[in-house]
Amino acid sequence: MNMNSDQSPINDINDLNQADNLQNGGAAVGQEAGNLDDQISKISVKKTEDTDENINKDRIYEKQNNNKSLKYQNALQRAKNRTYKTFVLVFLVLVSLVVLYPLVYAVSAAFSPGRSISAMSIVPFGSGVTTSHFQRLFKETNYIRWFRNTLMIATATSVSTILVCSLSAYVFSRFRFLFKKTMMLALLVLQIFPSFIGMIAIYVILLRIKGLDTLWGMVLIYLAGNIPYNTWLVKSYIDAIPRAYDEAAKIDGASNARTFFSVILPQASPIITFLAIVSFTGPWMEFIFAKLILRSNENQTLALGLFSFVTDRKNEFTMFCAGALIVAIPFIIFFLITQKMLVSSLAGAGVKE
Amino acid sequence: MRTLQSDGSNRKTIFIVSLIFMGLAHLTILKQYVKGALFALLEIVMIILSPKIFQLIQKMITLGEPQPNLPIFEKDNSMFMLIDGILIVAVLCIFVSLYFISVRSALSTYKDYCATGKLPESKNFFSEFGSKAFPIAGLSPLVILILFFVVVPLVFSASVAFTNYSAPGHIPPNNTVDWVGFDNFKFLFGGNATWTGALGRVAAWTIAWATAATVTCYAGGMIMAVVMHESKIKIAPFFRAIFILPYAVPAVVSMLVWQNLLNGSFGTINRTLIELGLMTQATTIPWLSNATLAKFTVVLINLWAGFPYFMLLTMGSMTAISKETFEAARIDGASRSQVFRAITLPSVLYQTMPLIIMSFTHNINNFGAIFFLTGGNPMVSDSTTTSAKGTDIMVTWIYNLTINLQKYNYAAVLAVCIFVVLAPFAIFNFRRTKSYKEGEL
Repeated sequence: MNMNSDQSPINDINDLNQADNLQNGGAAVGQEAGNLDDQISKISVKKTEDTDENINKDRIYEKQNNNKSLKYQNALQRAKNRTYKTFVLVFLVLVSLVVLYPLVYAVSAAFSPGRSISAMSIVPFGSGVTTSHFQRLFKETNYIRWFRNTLMIATATSVSTILVCSLSAYVFSRFRFLFKKTMMLALLVLQIFPSFIGMIAIYVILLRIKGLDTLWGMVLIYLAGNIPYNTWLVKSYIDAIPRAYDEAAKIDGASNARTFFSVILPQASPIITFLAIVSFTGPWMEFIFAKLILRSNENQTLALGLFSFVTDRKNEFTMFCAGALIVAIPFIIFFLITQKMLVSSLAGAGVKE
Repeated sequence: MRTLQSDGSNRKTIFIVSLIFMGLAHLTILKQYVKGALFALLEIVMIILSPKIFQLIQKMITLGEPQPNLPIFEKDNSMFMLIDGILIVAVLCIFVSLYFISVRSALSTYKDYCATGKLPESKNFFSEFGSKAFPIAGLSPLVILILFFVVVPLVFSASVAFTNYSAPGHIPPNNTVDWVGFDNFKFLFGGNATWTGALGRVAAWTIAWATAATVTCYAGGMIMAVVMHESKIKIAPFFRAIFILPYAVPAVVSMLVWQNLLNGSFGTINRTLIELGLMTQATTIPWLSNATLAKFTVVLINLWAGFPYFMLLTMGSMTAISKETFEAARIDGASRSQVFRAITLPSVLYQTMPLIIMSFTHNINNFGAIFFLTGGNPMVSDSTTTSAKGTDIMVTWIYNLTINLQKYNYAAVLAVCIFVVLAPFAIFNFRRTKSYKEGEL
């Protein structure tokens, strides 16, 4: 154990905390270098006597300086704290390695020569670097076409989901009407089913409205699948917007539609942004319905195209990784930028308590 | 026409008149001609279409007759008949609701009349449509989409559970399908040892999987969040950015990468272990090809993919705990573990409870985690007959039954089972919502 008490700035705050604890306990602090938690819990049994002073850290510092035996204790605690911190750091680094391992390997696969994973070196980037897979993607496959199709489906799904869900959520939040409770409960029960349970019927319905093998057919399926959960999500958010806003608009003579578009939508923009992201990212890697509905060559999506690289018949893992990388990178950048917003949206997501 | 009394005595008349024919009360007594005409038009259309509707419903009941001599395109297609029948029932449901609304509207107009002594003028209809009918207009896209793309498919799927729609003998258009009552349920629940065994095995694994997946991801996410929050390491945001990556990468991609990494013979993980001298070519670990080990592997990989979500969630909830609470605990001399047990854990648990339940239901239906990682493999003894493999959960089994075996009837029975098990969770969550508690609904 390192007993030196050189103070790094990171440790400062924690050291103060420790000093705080020590001060509380006074003489009760054990002399041996026992378990930190043990000591503090012993201390905590004793009632605090000088609570007011403890809040003021400067004063504690002064006191601590006056107390010589405490100085030694403080050094001990600091050392323990450093071990604790080192332990945490090692732990975090280890977890990061596990988290990154498959991702780094996939990236290296995208740039590795060869086709299957069996030929690749076990060290990422160990078998050389090549961009040939990317060139093949754009020259020999329909990658651009797949990308365009998927982009169109995703954009249309996102826009229509926002419109339908937010409008419905506004109605559910602000109006009273017949069957409201029934409909809300129905939406909640319906959202627990993955849509593919009804895929035979969806296939036949699309057949009837001539929507098979079309991109708009896919949009309809994704949109309908998005509605139940997301309507609830937006409704919970709109519930929290004060009604005073809409009332003010109404008094100024705004119609319901106008109130919705110029008052509610701007107020609900955080959740609308969240909804836009979620409904836009969803279709990129959806596989089941795309396989069922889109049959012709020119209507394939990215998920289908990338999957065709790793079927049972051929295993072109490197091509798959190259194609996936191009899609995943914008996703990752997006998530990293919006992670703050994501945290708050997730915490409020779904059925709010 | 008698003059309308404003003392409420005409209520019964209006109720009966509006019930006799849709919109009649609006047209005759209440003088709301546009509204009344629209309602009446709707009923007239329904009456004109009624023979067709009746025919379609009858077809749904019979599901067609075998016509071996006709060419395929002219044969009765039982599935089209069933879906058309369900669609018509859905349309009828909307019609009945509208009928109900028309009666209510007539009564409420009369009630207004009793209060104000005036009938609303017909020409105000359009401005009224902008306000009173806004809910109907606003919800119609939702209702139509949900009805045709969610409710009808699910009802269809539930109906199929009571038919013999399955390969090889009952696949339209070559053959017709018949209603068989509860035969499929009897078959799966005890009627046939192989299938019943498979159902029991898959159901048990589904529950175990959903529980393990939820608990591991929740615990893992919470540990990471608490460690990063408590340790006060300056580079915590850097680590958070790393830990968020599995959440940002599409699950399909990461699962397929893992599948290749974990492959028993050429997977990178086993080859690395061999290179490190930890095992030989003969003793490689069958990550995904041993039924028991594959289950653990699936849960572990799911932890890799799922902990970031709960980490973000816990971080969000932890920032919501007021700093004063922590301060007070610290002043009382609480240790780190005490603060965690007495403050952080209970408040985070409380806030995230509905989401834990939702995550559980999501994992029961977590198709992607199983399908793209193991594809349900490895095979077990009954897999050839039932198509339920070692790591298949209910939804992936439904997929196999539909796509590979074309046993639509059994797949439908499984879907009904999922509904029966999961619906209470959804209702439980519903009753916990703020709007429900406040009696707003």
